[in-house]
Amino acid sequence: MNRTQQIRFGLTAALTLLSIYLLIPTFRAAGISQADRAAAASDPDAKARIDGIDARAIRRGLDLQGGMYLVLEVEQEGMTGDQAQDALRRVREIITNRVDQFGVSEPVIQTQGNSRIIVQLPGLQDPERAKSLIGRTARLEFRLVRALEEIPGVVARLDEAFRAAGAARGDTSALASAPLASGEPADPGAAASDLPQLPTPVDRDEDAQYVRDHPFSAYVSQDEDFARMYGTPLYSEEGDVARVESLLQQPAARVLGTALEFQYDTEALTYGALRVRPLYLLNATPSLTGDRLTNARSAPDPERPGGWQVEMTLDRRGAREFARVTGENVGRNLAITLDGRVASAPNIRTKIPSGKASISGSFTNVEAADLALLLRAGALPANVRIEEERTVGPGLGRDSIRLGVRAGLIGAALVVLFMIIYYRFSGVIAVVGLIVNLLILMAALAQFGLTLTLPGIAGIVLTVGMAVDANVLINERIREELRKNKTVRAAVDSGFNNAMRTILDANITTLITGIILLWFGTGPIKGFAVTLSIGICTTVFVALVLNRAIMESLARDPARTTLSI
Amino acid sequence: MLQLFHNANYDIMGKMKVAFILSALIIGAGLVSLVARGGPRWSIDFTGGSVLQVVIQPTPGTAEVRRIIAGAGFRDAQVQDFGSPQEFLITLPGVESGGTSAANQAEAALRAALPQAQVELRREEKVGPKIGGELKTAALNSVLAACFLVVGYLSVRFIFRYGVAALLATLHDVIITLGVFSLLNKEISLSIVAAFLTIIGYSLNDTIVVFDRIRENMRLRRREGYREVLNRSINETLSRTVLTAGTTLLTAFTLWLLGGPVIHDFAFCMTFGVLTGTFSSIFIASPLLLLWHERAARGERRRAQPAM
Repeated sequence: MNRTQQIRFGLTAALTLLSIYLLIPTFRAAGISQADRAAAASDPDAKARIDGIDARAIRRGLDLQGGMYLVLEVEQEGMTGDQAQDALRRVREIITNRVDQFGVSEPVIQTQGNSRIIVQLPGLQDPERAKSLIGRTARLEFRLVRALEEIPGVVARLDEAFRAAGAARGDTSALASAPLASGEPADPGAAASDLPQLPTPVDRDEDAQYVRDHPFSAYVSQDEDFARMYGTPLYSEEGDVARVESLLQQPAARVLGTALEFQYDTEALTYGALRVRPLYLLNATPSLTGDRLTNARSAPDPERPGGWQVEMTLDRRGAREFARVTGENVGRNLAITLDGRVASAPNIRTKIPSGKASISGSFTNVEAADLALLLRAGALPANVRIEEERTVGPGLGRDSIRLGVRAGLIGAALVVLFMIIYYRFSGVIAVVGLIVNLLILMAALAQFGLTLTLPGIAGIVLTVGMAVDANVLINERIREELRKNKTVRAAVDSGFNNAMRTILDANITTLITGIILLWFGTGPIKGFAVTLSIGICTTVFVALVLNRAIMESLARDPARTTLSI
Repeated sequence: MLQLFHNANYDIMGKMKVAFILSALIIGAGLVSLVARGGPRWSIDFTGGSVLQVVIQPTPGTAEVRRIIAGAGFRDAQVQDFGSPQEFLITLPGVESGGTSAANQAEAALRAALPQAQVELRREEKVGPKIGGELKTAALNSVLAACFLVVGYLSVRFIFRYGVAALLATLHDVIITLGVFSLLNKEISLSIVAAFLTIIGYSLNDTIVVFDRIRENMRLRRREGYREVLNRSINETLSRTVLTAGTTLLTAFTLWLLGGPVIHDFAFCMTFGVLTGTFSSIFIASPLLLLWHERAARGERRRAQPAM
């Protein structure tokens, strides 16, 4: 064995041993049963041990272990460049904070470009809940509810403004022709209304005429009885809520002025035979906002057995402000609003100096805990929109691994069988090279913290194909040289020399496409590109270093006159 | 010793016409389908929309699922079984409607309509139209960038003409596969784009091995005609080409057969791509070189004549 060969063998042996060492955690992680993992959740020591193993094992993509991938777009309209960057940074911080409190292992939260945030939550059990925790702005505000006496006047002004706007556009139909979503008028008996806003229509024409004359109040009922129960006389049927909200966005709604604002309740309630949502007339300027919160926690609601509420503690300045507002407005209602909806609107019975407030609604235990979490983590400085979402259940992930690995193994076994039958001992050498190749590839994934996805497995399968190709090129070439009656040694030498050029050209072109995939690719493409690119490098290394060393050391034996190829 | 194509000596260049006609027919059929369907069938990755993969036990059957989803207001939805009779893939073109997402509404409709069945949501994907558009641009850019960089590399390693011929042979594979996807009404998703890029890599790889041999033979056999050198080079590399195609097909085909429904189309694309990639590196790439060479030679003769 000459010096070059010693170096080649030494290098490969060192790399192989290193790879095996780096893969130990991966094998151990694969050996931990589902039951052990479940048991570890309650045992901090065991959990730390398993987390330690997982951290050094090959990271499985969301498609293989289940989980959620979200791309959030931060709405930055009207912000300057600096403000937009600041908003993006703060949104990321707050979402990180929320996810940490939610308790997901190994979440990934990163910004992408100038307006996007990518959130990856592996092994998630309840995607809907996680989504509502991540995507909600959670802007908390305290706003005084306006006096009931103001309401009829405001509603009349709005009707008039919308009527005028419709007439000015010459298409009253734009507002009026939209059919009433529920179609059926309120049952007079059930509604027990002494201010019937929806007359029992004799026919559709009369109905349409009524909507033309009352573009706003046709969808918003006023009811004194309702006011006695819920603190506001206004409500809409559930099906009309979206329409009223869009009406209030129109220019004509500016007659409200800058001091007033309408907001719906967060939840619908059953009133008579209808599902309705209370509508509140509030001060447009909040008396206090969630910035002044120091803590929030969920607690059982003392007034509703089985119900839950969220208790909030304000900081010193907030407490002072809260004491002033409550002191000056005893007897009025103070609405606590979340993201533009009224969560509750309790009556102020007395001045509250303690800086403690609570939101009670019809919360369950989990809902109250989630809301408290959101309030503790703080409001997002800008709204976010979920632009892309990919959720994979844990069952599908397990199936995908099982099928992918099985198909990969069967494919590889067929190739191995073929190589050994076709090239005999040289085929065995190729297979040894293939095994070393895959070991180094997997170790690279583990060491560099890269993620193995299902397309990634496909990339590995393709690597098997490429590695075999390199061996086919070499072996076919050596056979050719042997046919020219060269000695074994000369045939191996010139075989490798000639094949090397081809192997390099072929693999470099594939590597170019692999790198482009890495560069442009997102999600599934990236996972594929990672294993493909690493696989190309390991393939070239194994073919030109290990395989060459083995073949040459065989060929160098002076007694050898034939080669099993 | 096992040996495929021992001393192969086929007149590949002579089969050029047949090969070109065959290719033209397949490409033509694909193009007709593409035009008739108004372009490739882009998946929600590119158009925006939602995909739900659900398992329903006991299965109500595809028709019933389709009826329920349509009844929930999704008239453009597509429902197909996915791997097994219990498993369905539901594609909804719209993302949001009202406050809750289309996917949630569809899922709720299934649960409501089949109260006695178990409905397990296995996968849910939603892509907003904006991101979809961006992904499409990124995918197209990556295909174009891959093509140009590879031609650049080949122009440096060989000469420009080889780079162009290799690129044309590769585009031939991409177009044929695109056409076959359209004929079979299969969707082009992100992972299919990855498969396309792999086909590009594979087909180029295959072509380069032949070109490499052509370059070598041009040096060694200066007295042979260009046509003979091309034929000889293809024949000499034929067993390698077929062996590699065979083993790669073996793995791609196993993935297709056994890899599970999620990578089914991906593996199909790879399998088909290996077939057409092998075909094109034998019957398209080198004949293109020959055509170009002969054309250039005629041009030189014409230019040379006035001087005589």
